[in-house]
Amino acid sequence: MTTERDDLPAGMTADEVSAAPSQATVEAANHEPLMVVRSLSKHFGGLVANREIDFDIPRNSIVSIIGPNGAGKTTFFNQLTGFFEPTSGTIVFDGLDIAGLAPNQVAKLGIGRTYQNIRLFKEMTVLANVMVGRHVRLRSQWFQALLHLPSVKREEAETTQRARELLDLVGLSRRYEDELARNLPYGDQRRLEIARALASDPKLLLLDEPTAGMNPGETAQMTQFISRLRHELGIAILLIEHDMKVVMGVSERITVLDHGERIAEGTPEQIRTDPLVIEAYLGKQATA
Amino acid sequence: MNEGRRPVDARLVLKRATGMGAIAGLAGVYLSLVGIVERFETRNVVTGVVTLGLLTVAIAILVAAFVAPRPPRAWGMAEPSRGLKLAASVLAGAAAASVLVLFLIAVESLDLRDIFPNASSSLSRILSLGMDGPAGWAALAALCLAMGSIAGGLHALRPRDRQPLVAAMSAVLLVSLMEPFLNNVFLQLRQNALASFIYERSGLTIPAALIVFVVVLAVAAFETYRGKQARERVESLPAPTRRNAKYVTLFFVGVLLLVLPHLMGVFLSEVVGTVGLYMLMGLGLNIVVGYAGLLDLGYVAFFAVGAYATALLTSPASSLGLGLDFWIALPIVMVIAAITGIIIGAPVLRLRGDYLAIVTLGFGEIVRILLLSDALRPIFGGAQGILAIPPPEIGDLRLAGPVNLYYPILAFVVLGAFVAWTLANSRVGRAWNAMREDEEVAAATGINTTNYKLLAFAIGAVFGCVAGAFLSVKIGVVFPQRLDILVSITVLSLIILGGMGSIRGVILGAFVLVGLPELLREFAEYRLLIYGGVLVTMMLLRPEGLLPNRSRQRELHEEHDAEETQYQQRAGGDTGAPVISSP
Repeated sequence: MTTERDDLPAGMTADEVSAAPSQATVEAANHEPLMVVRSLSKHFGGLVANREIDFDIPRNSIVSIIGPNGAGKTTFFNQLTGFFEPTSGTIVFDGLDIAGLAPNQVAKLGIGRTYQNIRLFKEMTVLANVMVGRHVRLRSQWFQALLHLPSVKREEAETTQRARELLDLVGLSRRYEDELARNLPYGDQRRLEIARALASDPKLLLLDEPTAGMNPGETAQMTQFISRLRHELGIAILLIEHDMKVVMGVSERITVLDHGERIAEGTPEQIRTDPLVIEAYLGKQATA
Repeated sequence: MNEGRRPVDARLVLKRATGMGAIAGLAGVYLSLVGIVERFETRNVVTGVVTLGLLTVAIAILVAAFVAPRPPRAWGMAEPSRGLKLAASVLAGAAAASVLVLFLIAVESLDLRDIFPNASSSLSRILSLGMDGPAGWAALAALCLAMGSIAGGLHALRPRDRQPLVAAMSAVLLVSLMEPFLNNVFLQLRQNALASFIYERSGLTIPAALIVFVVVLAVAAFETYRGKQARERVESLPAPTRRNAKYVTLFFVGVLLLVLPHLMGVFLSEVVGTVGLYMLMGLGLNIVVGYAGLLDLGYVAFFAVGAYATALLTSPASSLGLGLDFWIALPIVMVIAAITGIIIGAPVLRLRGDYLAIVTLGFGEIVRILLLSDALRPIFGGAQGILAIPPPEIGDLRLAGPVNLYYPILAFVVLGAFVAWTLANSRVGRAWNAMREDEEVAAATGINTTNYKLLAFAIGAVFGCVAGAFLSVKIGVVFPQRLDILVSITVLSLIILGGMGSIRGVILGAFVLVGLPELLREFAEYRLLIYGGVLVTMMLLRPEGLLPNRSRQRELHEEHDAEETQYQQRAGGDTGAPVISSP
C-alpha cells in the first residue's frame, strides 16, 4: 500500500534515490549545477507571479533570492518543492526534470525545506518531528512493523540515533527531545525545523526567511550556522531572505526578483551596486 | 504566581458564583422535569441514607459550587482567598436553593402535569425529602446550602488532600452503581453472605459504604503522598526483578480475563461481549480519527459491511447460500473490509475537517439505506435482514452463547490493541500524526499522504468489519435497524471520552459508555442525554480525555503542578523553606 517506489519518476531505482550523496558522486558530477531552472513561469489566472525565470544552484554552494514583498519569491520556492505546478518552464534537479512532481516525490529526490512562518508538527515531540523528517529514507512497511521484524527494530533504533545527532548538530539540547514542539522557544523551533529538513539527507536545503523575527544576535548566529551546514554536510543551500545583511554575508550568488521577474543576478558585490536592485528596494529617487 | 494579575474583585467573584449556582438549580429543575430524579430514586446508593435520584441534583449543585469561586483564567485575576472562596461556594448553594425551592413550591401548588408529565406529587415528595409544606422547602434549601458548604470546604483543602477525599466519595458511588454487576458475580461464586453484607435493596449497606470509603481514602492518600517515592523505589529495582513482576502481573490479569465469563454468568458476559465489539470499533476508528486526524462520522458503514458479509458467507439461509465456516469467512470479510475502506476513502481524499465529516456521515447512511432497500432485497433481505447465522466452531466446540463468544472477542480485542499500539509507535504512526498536524508539511517532508490516508481507512475498516462479523454471529441475525448512525456516534463518543489517540482510553471509554448503560437499566432511557452531557462536560473540563496519550498528559501535569506550587509558595513562608517560583 505504501510502496512509494511507484511514485518515482521512470528510470530511477529506489536505491539511486535513497543513497545519501556520497563524496564521490558529488565530485564526479561537480561540473554541472545541482539545480537548473529555465524560463520558469507561473500564472494565477491573469496574474503573473513568476515570468521566465532562469536560475542555477551550483553544488555545495549557498545562493539567495531576494526581492521586495510580493516579488514572487515564495511562489518560486513553492514550484521547486512541488506545491505549485509551473505554468511553463523546466526545473532540472540532479539530472531529472522535477517540474510538476508531487511534494513528497520532490522530498524523496533530496530537497528539504523550512517555512517562513514556522510549521512544525506542534503536538508531536521534538524527537518525533525529526524522525518524521527521516520518513523518506526508511523502508519498513506497516505489515513489517506489525510483525516486529528485527530489520524494523534496527531501522527505528538507527532513526532515533540519527535524529539525536541532528538535534546535536542544530544545537538543540537533548533535554528537549521529549518536549512537545509547540513548547519550544521561537529560536529553537527554527532550529528544529532545520533538523527536520536535514533528516531526509537532502542534497538541497531551501530556507525560507530563516532569520525572520530574530534579534541581531540570533541572526548572526543563524548566519554562521548556515555556512557551517554547507561545509559540514556538503549540501547546497537556497535562501530566501529579506535581511540584506544575512544574504550578503553568506551567499556566493544572489538573484533578485521584482514583480515576478529576475532583475539581477550576481555576486553580493555586483548586487550591492546594481542600480536596478537599488531602485527596486529603495525607489527611483535613490538611483537619481 | 500571582504577579501580573489584577487583584481579586470580590464582587465579580460572588456575582459569578450566584450565576453558576442558579444554573445548577436550573439543571436540577431540568433533571426533575425530564424524569431522571424520579426514575433514579428507585436506586439506593447507600441504602436508607442516600438515593440516586436526589443525589444527581445534589452532585450538580456540588460541582457548580466547587467550580464557581475560581475565576476563569481569561479574567487574569489572582486566586481568591479561602474565605472568599467559601463565601462564593455557599452563595452558589443559596442561589441553587432559591431556584429549586421556587420550583418545588410551583410543583406543589400549581398543576403542571399537562405540560410536564413528570412534575408529579411523587417528585415533590423526593425534592422535599419526604416532608410536607414549608418544612420540605426548608429541607431542600438546607440540602443545597450543605452542598455549597461542602464545596467551599473542599476549596480549603490542598489539592493533594482534596483528591483522595473526592476519590473516596466517587468510589462509594461507583461501587454502589456497580451493584447489578458485582452482586451477580458474588451470587455466581455462591458468596450469598458477602453479597448481602455489601448490598441491600440495590444499594450499599452502611458498613460496606464506610469500608469502601476508608479503603479508597487510604489508598488514594498513599498514592498522593507516597506514590512518588513508591514509584521511584519500584523503578530503582533491578531490571530483571521489574520484568518478572510485570510478567507476574500480566499472568494474573490474563488468568482473570480468562475466567471472567464464568464468574459473570450469561447476562454479564453478553454485556462484556458488546463492550468488546465497541472496543474493537473504537480501536479502529481511533486509528482513523485519533492517529490520522480524519474525522469519519460514518464508521457504522464498516460495522454493517462486516456483519452482512459474514451473514452472506456463513448463513445457509442467505441469498448466496454458501454456508461457509466462520473462520474461513473471516479472512474474506477482512479483505472485503479493506477494499470497502479504500472505496469509501478514495473519493474523500481531498476533503478535510468538516467536509470530510459530512461526506462520511452520508456514506454511513447510504450503506444502511442500501441494506434496507427493496431493490436489493433479494440479496440483503430488506428490513428482515439475514437469518440463521451459525456460530463459529473450533473443532467440535460450537462457540455459541455469550460465555463462549467472549473468548474470540477478547482475542481480537487484544490483537487489535496490539496492532494499534504497534502501528502508532512505528514509522506509519509518525506519518499519520504528521498528517494530522499539518498535511501540506507532511507531504513536503516526503509522506505520501494519499497512501497513508487510504491505509488508515483500510485498517480502520478491517477493525469495524471484524466487530460486525462478531455481531452477526453473536445475535445470529443481521438487520439494518441495528446499524444506524447511533453506532458511529457512540464509537466516536467513547474515543473522545477516553482520549483521542489513546488505546487505554478506548478501552475505558467503551466500558463507561457502552457497559454502564447496559448495567444500569435506569440510565438506558436517558442514554443519549447522558452522552451529550458527558461530551459537553469533557470538552469543557478535560478535552484531552480521561486517559490521554502520553504527550497530552504532560500538559495536564503542568497545570496540576502549577496549583501545587502555588500552595507550596504559600506554605513556604511558614516553614522557611526556599521558595521556588515556577518557570
